[in-house]
Amino acid sequence: MTVTLDGLPAGATVTTSGQAATRPRRRLDIGLLAAGAYLTVLLVAVLWPAALAPGDPLAADPRNVLSAPDSGHWFGTDNLGRDVWTRVVHGAGHSITIAVAATAIAVGGGVLLGLLAGLTHRVADETLSRTLDALSAFPTLLLAMLFIAIVGPGTVSLIIAIGLVTLPRHARVVRGLTQLVRRCGYVEQAVTFGLSRPRLVLRHILPNAIGPIPVLAVIGLGEAVLIAAGLSFLGMGPQPPSPEWGAMLSEGRNYLHVAWWMTILPGLAVTATVVSLTVLGRHWQRRLDGRQR
Amino acid sequence: MPARRTSALTAIVVPILLLAGCSTATSTAPAEAAGEPRSGGTLTWAIETEPITLNPHQYAQAKARLLVWNSFESLLTYDEQGRLVPWLATGWQAGADGLAYTVTLRDGVRFTDGTPLDADAVKANFDKLREEGYAPGVAAVQLRNLKAVEVVDPRTVRLVLTAPDVLILDFLASPQGALISPRSLREATNLKAGGLDVVGTGPFILDRYLPGQELHYKRNPDYDWAPPTASHTGPAHLDGITYRFLKESAVRVGALTSGQVQLVEGVPATDVPLIDGHPQLRLIRELNSGSAFSYYFNVSRAPFDDLRVRQAFREAVDVPTLLTAVYQDTATRAWSVISPASPFYDKRLEGSYGGDAAKANNLLDAAGWTQRDADGYRTKDGKRLTVRLIQAAPFVRDRRDVLAQAVQAAVKQSAGIDLKVSLVDQGTAVKAFDTNEYEVFENSRADTDAGAALNLLLHSAGGINRTRVHDARVDELLEQGQATADPAARADIYAQLQQVVVAEQALVLPLYAPADQIAASNTVGGVRFEPTAGVPASAYDLWIGQ
Repeated sequence: MTVTLDGLPAGATVTTSGQAATRPRRRLDIGLLAAGAYLTVLLVAVLWPAALAPGDPLAADPRNVLSAPDSGHWFGTDNLGRDVWTRVVHGAGHSITIAVAATAIAVGGGVLLGLLAGLTHRVADETLSRTLDALSAFPTLLLAMLFIAIVGPGTVSLIIAIGLVTLPRHARVVRGLTQLVRRCGYVEQAVTFGLSRPRLVLRHILPNAIGPIPVLAVIGLGEAVLIAAGLSFLGMGPQPPSPEWGAMLSEGRNYLHVAWWMTILPGLAVTATVVSLTVLGRHWQRRLDGRQR
Repeated sequence: MPARRTSALTAIVVPILLLAGCSTATSTAPAEAAGEPRSGGTLTWAIETEPITLNPHQYAQAKARLLVWNSFESLLTYDEQGRLVPWLATGWQAGADGLAYTVTLRDGVRFTDGTPLDADAVKANFDKLREEGYAPGVAAVQLRNLKAVEVVDPRTVRLVLTAPDVLILDFLASPQGALISPRSLREATNLKAGGLDVVGTGPFILDRYLPGQELHYKRNPDYDWAPPTASHTGPAHLDGITYRFLKESAVRVGALTSGQVQLVEGVPATDVPLIDGHPQLRLIRELNSGSAFSYYFNVSRAPFDDLRVRQAFREAVDVPTLLTAVYQDTATRAWSVISPASPFYDKRLEGSYGGDAAKANNLLDAAGWTQRDADGYRTKDGKRLTVRLIQAAPFVRDRRDVLAQAVQAAVKQSAGIDLKVSLVDQGTAVKAFDTNEYEVFENSRADTDAGAALNLLLHSAGGINRTRVHDARVDELLEQGQATADPAARADIYAQLQQVVVAEQALVLPLYAPADQIAASNTVGGVRFEPTAGVPASAYDLWIGQ
């Protein structure tokens, strides 16, 4: 099944031209391996941070501030003498939880609204779709900041804000596919057999309309990590002394020329996470295309 | 005076002839890299704090003081020795019973809108200050003992008091006592916020204000009434000056090193080596007067209604270690609610408390906070030992947010106290204070007379009495200090007060003596601090070298 849809956001393309399928199968993809390894470590950091960094991320040692990376503190210490490695590891939980929860909201809401728009009549569909278009016309970061400005900063509002602003792209993909699927032969046949509407939607339309969503969600997860870090940097996420990566970047910004490790190392954690998730998502997408072909 | 006149730029000799006008004021400008003072040019100065108001009557931020004196002036001011000298006044005389002060005004002074400064203008300012709802803090505290302002003749006003009050003279030298043109008082579109249409008599005229970005002043060409503490007379050297609001210290210092601005204030300790090592830049530092930067404990609610918990909090913090961590070696530890730069500072408090974790834990055990929860915090009857510090963003300077985090970690680690820090906007902070939803309040004031600061902070009726202490002895000592003219007797009264407040009742945790650091390009001359207050002076004496 090849589906081409107009107006999908960049990075959300459902199919590609088939480059992956025609290229000879590589034996070893180093990029993919590195991404997998990093994400495994990240998963450990999220689920069991003490395994990687047994210390307390909030424990300050005012006698040992801004010390450069060495064997004792191999990521150095920050302006309050806290171990940067411990904070980066424990910060993974904050950043990834926010990203996963936000993506869950985006996917759940997106699928629901997309199905609704794809199945309803013109007026309802137009209203929903144009509303979503209007939302996606704003830069995601700006929209999220607007939301947080209204409800106030904090982890929960950060999650909801990111979820809401990344929701339209999922909704649009699902809407397009729903409209396509509902005109397919097997759906029309199912209707002829007298299948009830809820069963029709759940058994035939939904499974076929959300095909690209998992891939989109993985790539979206990377973006959510980035937005979360950006907003936390601006003070709109978890408040100090939480070891959230964006908040750590923010704390380190005034010490950049005396203690680069306070900013660069959490920054690298964000970068590596986003890159790894994108690599994984793209790889999955290519495989899916190959199978669909 | 304590040894604080360290600035090489402040060696000014000022012969003071009280009641004899100040036309004889002279000064010797010290040799500077910028050469001899010359007129012309404009400067850009990056400042840390944007003022919440441009109306001097509403003044509340020490960091805004350097802006006030550009366009507004007071009747009196302080010299390097901490003595009052006339400014827009030519002199004053106290009545025999201390219940009246007669102030004579300088001739020929005009507000920048053309209105002449006369006794009616002074009276209009005092009447406005006492108007309901205009400046409630000033009316209730500084002008508490003022009965009436009488116009004797166009050049003379008499302040009639209900009780002897030496602080009224300090008020005449304070930013809140600065004089605004009567026309502005009547006609300004938003008087309380200030702005281009609220004018004074100063050496500069505000001609541009872009909120969030910058303020610009141009020279007042008619200016000819500099205070005797200034290093020249006549109009200001500069054609104009721009103050850019750069909240981030790294951005301020970066703007200076890259030449975008010629002056910055609020140089963080970590950047001091950068300035010192730079051949084109220099750093100047001076302690502020007034009150020390302290944490005030709210005694009206648990847990700080218990003296032992207040003492424990103080013992749990090893102040010198934290100051070294946050400010390297640039901060001066405070032991009292009064800054060590003030003549009323009580030295006996030094070393009398603090930094003993074992004692902190014993005190908390004795107060009943004996259990610990899963996170390691102390609890009593299932309730965690939590205290909330509210930081209002317009007053957060000198990395006070970082210091708060350091204290937070320290009290947790050494005594199991949960200090919750929230950095919020001014409105949210005021709401928390008004509804009594806080346990810790942080503050420092750069008042020239520490007594004025203490009246606001510790008196039952004080405008920012955030400890919510209502103690007859404290009130009595404050009132005595206000009514006593003899400096030695006043020092004795304030020493007693500090013993009560700091030693006996542990109402405060003094942290550091606020100081101002200015980093300047070597092309800028005349960089100095305001005498006695110790905060950066106005732009009047600044000049640009060749």
